Amino acid sequence: MTVHAKNLRYSFGRLMLYALLIVTSILMIIPFYWSLGTSLKLEQFVFSNPPQWLPNPLTWANYIHVLTRIPFLRYFANSVIVAVVTTLGHVFFDTLAAYAFAKLTFPGRDRIFFVMLLALMVPFQVNLIPLYKIMASLHWIDTYLALIVPNLTSIFGIFLMRQFMMTIPGELLDAARIDGCNEFGVFRRVVLPLALPGIATLIIFTFMGTWNDFLWPRIVTNSEKLFTLPVGLAQLQMKNTSNVAQIMAGTVLTALPMIIVFLFMQRQFIEGMTAGALKE
Amino acid sequence: MTAIPLPRKLTRSVQKYTIPYLFITVPALSLIVFLFIPMVVSLWWSLNDYSGLQAAKFVGLNNYIELLSGDKIFIKSLVNTTVFVLLGMSIGPTLGLITALMLNQNVRFRSLFRTAYYLPVMTSLVVVATIWVMLYNRNGLFNTILQNIGLSKIGWLSDPHYSLVSIVIASVWQGFGFETVIFLAALQSIPRELYEAAMMDGAGAWAQFRYITLPSLRPVIVFVYIIGIIGSYQVFDQVFVMTAGGPVYSTSTIVHYLFTKFQDLRLGYASAIAYILFAVLVVFSYLQMRFSRERA
Repeated sequence: MTVHAKNLRYSFGRLMLYALLIVTSILMIIPFYWSLGTSLKLEQFVFSNPPQWLPNPLTWANYIHVLTRIPFLRYFANSVIVAVVTTLGHVFFDTLAAYAFAKLTFPGRDRIFFVMLLALMVPFQVNLIPLYKIMASLHWIDTYLALIVPNLTSIFGIFLMRQFMMTIPGELLDAARIDGCNEFGVFRRVVLPLALPGIATLIIFTFMGTWNDFLWPRIVTNSEKLFTLPVGLAQLQMKNTSNVAQIMAGTVLTALPMIIVFLFMQRQFIEGMTAGALKE
Repeated sequence: MTAIPLPRKLTRSVQKYTIPYLFITVPALSLIVFLFIPMVVSLWWSLNDYSGLQAAKFVGLNNYIELLSGDKIFIKSLVNTTVFVLLGMSIGPTLGLITALMLNQNVRFRSLFRTAYYLPVMTSLVVVATIWVMLYNRNGLFNTILQNIGLSKIGWLSDPHYSLVSIVIASVWQGFGFETVIFLAALQSIPRELYEAAMMDGAGAWAQFRYITLPSLRPVIVFVYIIGIIGSYQVFDQVFVMTAGGPVYSTSTIVHYLFTKFQDLRLGYASAIAYILFAVLVVFSYLQMRFSRERA
């Protein structure tokens, strides 16, 4: 093959590659775009044929409806409260426990850790119903307590943070101890700053998991006042099947905060995702 | 300030033995109260006829026997879930690998493309489901396109022949970006020298893929499949929002069926379903442990 033909073949390959990447990316984005577009349409144009690729006329009425007639702001506040408190709990309790498992020696440490790892295998559905009963007997149904307290720590978080802390050299901790730090001091002044990248990952995982969680909040909330966004959205979808444009306004409001967080913290997201899979 | 030696030494050793336990107290308690006790209770209930209102009545293995021999809807749910897992797992990771290979070709705007694939992964499944319910609507975008190219409409979610596949499509769209990201990171960690050496030896693109890329990816591929299978067996949110298990149970899944039994206040029966699911997942978790030990 001549150099010229080779170049031509290479350029053609690159062209095909970019064409494929662009087409598949557009296919990925269309459902989001269609949802956003529909949320800005009048209901009578939602299913018009030919499809309206640009909303005409453009209207905010669906958002106004969802924000004023349905307590979406309340759902939003609930989601923020539950996700933030849960994430804070994880950052504190998971890292503290991970520190003990990674860097302290105490009788039974490895056995306890092994039991925790085993527990990681138990699907949530197994303890779901008794957990619901516990919440009911504590009169926690329809309170933030039921939404937050059972999820305040996680074995996965402890496991993840322990992986990060194993890489911190023990000499650093010993040096701090010799300087007179107590164990909590060592944790706060030496371990926490060094574990920050791990904590960023933990925050992302926990926040995303809590924000998107559906089954548990669906089960422990009955009144709209306590709904989180996914529960409220599912409710809207079922009760109000006729008005698609309003449902889409709710969908956009539910998805948008997470998408914004993602776009700002993309690097940490990707690193966190791959850390669990590759660094084992 | 100089401390008196003895008490200080004493506090040190007290600290040494109490502090670690103090640090793990909350997670340990949480594990016992919210996981181990409920697990045991659930196992006990699965051996009982229990509604939550009246006292439990011990029935031995009856719930399990009824589920596995007499309950056609449960068997259907088991089969549906397995079909969901098999279909999803044969499409999702493949798409993930293809897109990762494309992104690994030194492309411009790589992070932009990656974002497109990854965006649905961090979107709530309820959001994904509501969007796809609209797309799948009788008069929705998909049917309009079908009609305009001269085909007839499809009852994506209303026809029992298509409903499960429609949920698989939405779920794959939602999830494969996770695999893209994982595979891309793994591809980038394969040493370049391997490919250079292979090219010296005259290996073509396919030979390089077959003898370098695939073997290097093996552990990650195993990880992706096991995690995917375990996650997919627990499918619930999409089903709940998109079809509620219908039409005629064509999309009923294990966890969705468990949920309906929970609502019917058949708590013992629902617990038995949970334990059957658990048994299925234990097999895959065991496989994962076997494989990850192999890697280490």
